[in-house]
Amino acid sequence: MSNKRRLWQIFGPVLCAIILLLVVFLLPWDRTFSKEDIFQAANSQTVTVFKGVKMKQEAFDDHYVPFYGSSELSRLDPLHPSVIAQKYHRNYHPFLLGGPGSQSLVHFIGMQGTSKELKNKKAVVIISPQWFTKQGQNPQAFELYYSPLETIMFLLSAKNNKADRYAAMRIASMPTMKSGVIKNSLKKVAKGQKLSKFDRVWLKGRLRMLENEDKFFSAFQLRDRIQKINKRAKLLPDKYSIKGLTAVANQQAERHTSSNRFGIDNNFFRSRLPRKELWKLRGSQRKFDYVKSPEYSDFELMLHQFAKQHTNVLFIIPPVNAKWAKYTGLSQMMYQKSVAKIKYQLASQGFENIADLSKDGNRQYFMQDTIHLGWNGWVAVDKAVKPFMAEPNGRYSYAISNYFYSKKWQDQTKVKQVDFADKANLKDK
Amino acid sequence: MNFNFINMQPYSNPQYFIYLLLALVPIIVGLYYGKRLKTYEAIFSLLFLFLIFDGDHWQEGVNLILYLVYEFIITFAYLRYRTKKGSPNKSWIFNLAVILAILPLTAVKILIQMPKGTVPFVVGFLGISYITFKNVQVIMETRDGVIKEIDPGTYARFLLFFPTISSGPIDRYRRFKQDFDKAPSREQYLDDLQMAVRYLFQGFLYKFILGWFFGTYLLPKISIAGLATGNAVGGLKLSWWVVAYMYVYTMYLFFDFAGYSLFAVAISYFMGIHTPMNFNKPFISKNIKDFWNRWHMTLSFWFRDYIYMRFTFFAMKKKLIKNRIRLSQVSYLLLFLIMGFWHGLTWYYIVYGLYHATAIIINDYWLRFKRKHKDKIPSNRFTQWFAIFLTFQVVCLGMLIFSGYLSQLWFGWK
Repeated sequence: MSNKRRLWQIFGPVLCAIILLLVVFLLPWDRTFSKEDIFQAANSQTVTVFKGVKMKQEAFDDHYVPFYGSSELSRLDPLHPSVIAQKYHRNYHPFLLGGPGSQSLVHFIGMQGTSKELKNKKAVVIISPQWFTKQGQNPQAFELYYSPLETIMFLLSAKNNKADRYAAMRIASMPTMKSGVIKNSLKKVAKGQKLSKFDRVWLKGRLRMLENEDKFFSAFQLRDRIQKINKRAKLLPDKYSIKGLTAVANQQAERHTSSNRFGIDNNFFRSRLPRKELWKLRGSQRKFDYVKSPEYSDFELMLHQFAKQHTNVLFIIPPVNAKWAKYTGLSQMMYQKSVAKIKYQLASQGFENIADLSKDGNRQYFMQDTIHLGWNGWVAVDKAVKPFMAEPNGRYSYAISNYFYSKKWQDQTKVKQVDFADKANLKDK
Repeated sequence: MNFNFINMQPYSNPQYFIYLLLALVPIIVGLYYGKRLKTYEAIFSLLFLFLIFDGDHWQEGVNLILYLVYEFIITFAYLRYRTKKGSPNKSWIFNLAVILAILPLTAVKILIQMPKGTVPFVVGFLGISYITFKNVQVIMETRDGVIKEIDPGTYARFLLFFPTISSGPIDRYRRFKQDFDKAPSREQYLDDLQMAVRYLFQGFLYKFILGWFFGTYLLPKISIAGLATGNAVGGLKLSWWVVAYMYVYTMYLFFDFAGYSLFAVAISYFMGIHTPMNFNKPFISKNIKDFWNRWHMTLSFWFRDYIYMRFTFFAMKKKLIKNRIRLSQVSYLLLFLIMGFWHGLTWYYIVYGLYHATAIIINDYWLRFKRKHKDKIPSNRFTQWFAIFLTFQVVCLGMLIFSGYLSQLWFGWK
């Protein structure tokens, strides 16, 4: 056999494999997910779903409503929004987005793929003051939730305006973003420069590959919580009433918080707060400050995105467990200040659907553990969600202000209390 | 400008292979035309070494350089001592050289067990074990007089041979030098290329598909379920999940490590170096001894040649143990204990060593018994399959100990 022929025999299959791979990744494949997959994905809170696009798009087209939040979303007790929506056959399904450590910046990226689907529709945001730390978006969590797919979508549609420049600057500053075309493009957008032709071609190619990956693989490894939801739903009264729900909440919570004086879920208390840990935490949060934070500007990015989509948004501001806050020394005054600042930022730009639960941290069985809503807290959430969802969809317009990207706003400690009764005055700043 | 170092750990992701294969093209073309481009090879190796040890890993890089200087001093000092005319060839000098050579590795093994925060510097570097194995082997063969000269350049390349630096396979200096000093014939090199491509793709299948499936997909689920069930039942916290964990972990370990080894061998073959294979269908072993001739072969052969054999000869010469059977048992115990300690100073690695020593000693008893009663013990297809089945169970149980999962189950740490 000639050497040439042998070389072909050795490397020919390799070439075929490479060509096949390129074809598979670069062809514009299409698929739809089954209803079961979407339902699972909506309740799975996996990062793959969070970072993907196709599943979210299909879901939002089909009366799923995004619930943007963080770790409280995984407190899947019988009063959780997903369980209630399932039990009472509501006309919406919550699509849970977020988990431990997800903050405004990753949510902003995560919204890039669904701006069309959410146009003139609804969304719920559980906005925790705990996001508003001195550091803002936690870099390790960013690494986990960072979606290259949606970052490229952002880049390809970025305009030279304050919001996009600011977003690009923030994303580029994360340690996850090492060198490469994406980082360089972000830097260009941040500086207000145009992307080069090469950048765009490269990004589009990469986008195609990532989209295909998303289509092929995002239905794998969904966390199946459907059974759990159905099991919890059985505990709820057949006829919806706040009184009935509260009774279930009290009864469940009493059973699950018997081990400690904080009203913290027994499992959580046992596994996360053993004696040594508990000791360390005593008085440990005295210096926590949620009033000065770059998060306020990242949060503005989310608002900017909602405004662009004309989405009707319900904001829920959760409290902290008051007994726990007392133990750790977390200042309620500081907490209320940060809540006021968030509310000002919302209301002054026209976001008026706010369920402020921040003062309810001392109500019995309101929190499932230290800072996460549970039982009666979820009932309170439903009190806001139910009428909100009953409103018809419509095109909502907002008065977005670039002031909220400024350092001055991030560090602002004195904020006017917003008077929600005086609607005429709200948008006037 | 904010310059972020690109850091690439060997064979960690598909992109790595693209860069690697592109960089290999000149070497492949050179070898095809009968030329070994040693200078290019050196630059290429240094570059990929740099990519392992730059950025966040720079302290490891410094450790590697210090280590190399240290080991070079020992090896060449000992070589000089052994090759000078009328060398007295004292045992204590040889012992000293070996002890000094394994001193850094020993220190690393102890230091990494220290509680977090008590050691103020970065300990060791990726692949320190495997470089030490290579180095000790050279000192031992120098003592035997099989190695009479060492070319410093070739030696450095041998120790730092980049495809195998992180986790072997462990090559031998004389074998490496033979390959390295010549370019293979075209016929031979085409065979090499054919094997290289095959091993590379087999490696992809093993590590990125099967290893991923068992290790990343299945194992965490089983682990969580096992821990939850274990805590519920109490006592020894055993459940069927632990059995599942045992098999799945064994599969994961094999496909992950065999996949890696295939990569290392494949890249070596592209470079015209016949790095020895590490695995040879270990799960069809008919007994434990057979298993160790098929599993992580370069490591077990190293232990066989440089610990088991050395100790056996030493003990025979000094008449420490007269009974030959007893002697081989003690040697096995020593071998596997050292292997256990080498894996790490944790109870489950040491128990793993003892477990395999016991298994191989029992196996020896059985083999002797079988030989004596040949006429009474049947040997047919069924018994052969049974032997394979039983060996597999013993091996998997060993892997369960090795995995540290029991430690996590019982004591909450790994």
